[in-house]
Amino acid sequence: MSEDKNKQVSRRQFLNYTLTGVGGFMAAGMLAPMVRFAIDPVLQPEAGGDFVSAEIAEEDITTEPQRVTFKVEQVDAWYESTVEKVAWVYKQEDGSIIALDPTCTHLGCIVGWDSNEDHPDHFYCPCHGGLYTKDGVNVPNTPPTAPLSVYEQKIENGILYLGKSIPREEA
Amino acid sequence: MKWKKQDIEQYVKAKEYIDTAIIPLVPFSMGSTDDELTSLTYQNEVMDLFVDRVEREYKGRIFRLPSYTYTKSSNLENEMERLNSFYEEICKQPFKYVFYLTFDSKWKKFEKGLGGHLLWVPVMKDGDLNSEETQKLLVDQMEQVTDLIQTYWVE
Ligand code: FES
Repeated sequence: MSEDKNKQVSRRQFLNYTLTGVGGFMAAGMLAPMVRFAIDPVLQPEAGGDFVSAEIAEEDITTEPQRVTFKVEQVDAWYESTVEKVAWVYKQEDGSIIALDPTCTHLGCIVGWDSNEDHPDHFYCPCHGGLYTKDGVNVPNTPPTAPLSVYEQKIENGILYLGKSIPREEA
Repeated sequence: MKWKKQDIEQYVKAKEYIDTAIIPLVPFSMGSTDDELTSLTYQNEVMDLFVDRVEREYKGRIFRLPSYTYTKSSNLENEMERLNSFYEEICKQPFKYVFYLTFDSKWKKFEKGLGGHLLWVPVMKDGDLNSEETQKLLVDQMEQVTDLIQTYWVE
């Protein structure tokens, strides 16, 4: 435990260091090109009813979950805003596409795929260690009590469009 | 969680899980030069975006409290006292970690006297929030801040 603690403390020092030495990576950030969407008009976001382009071509979706983002209009009381949503998309065994909503069903943190060394090939929640298998089903004895929600989706002109996030029943 | 009714309703049912509070420290001024006003408001906007995003990704564990605002010219020694009384107030709920997030490097000098942890992040004086470069930079910084917060959680 104390070794673990030391590891965390030195990691903290390192992070503090990089965080405050912002100059270097600020420059790096400036140079990072966002080439793909700048040049390929097919991939421009486009509204299609309640569905929004996830800016990914069907052929680029593999069996490995990929993180995509898309923007939706959201109304809170009378305040309207555009929020960025995240989905993890991949092709299932049978070739069909699934788009999982990474909002943890425990208390709403954002889970990541394969993001924790101790739990490879799982969706992992950094908040309280919630775990889900690849299909988004919650692993028993971790805090979440329901699987990840699934976005409605469709393919149009070879591009993936996502809609509402639909909760699933307890497994 | 945010300082909002809907979130509080969830919070009161799950307090033991939401053990981390984050408070932005935001300088305010109306008596500055016009350039400085621009810069202060820009930085305030950046801060809002920044903590909003942290809160969104860690909603189930981090509570974003209202910002602590102080006049830019005020003596931070006095502010420190007031901030510490905020801290005592926050500790009336079962938070285990309290973080102050600021772009104002002056706080660095007072770090030792503060209850809670100071997270100082450098920021540009001015910029374009709609530009992709700025957004990317902010996301990078945000990830570093949340990585830092997570090192406290592991203990
Ligand atoms: S919010 Fe994901 S495990 Fe608690």
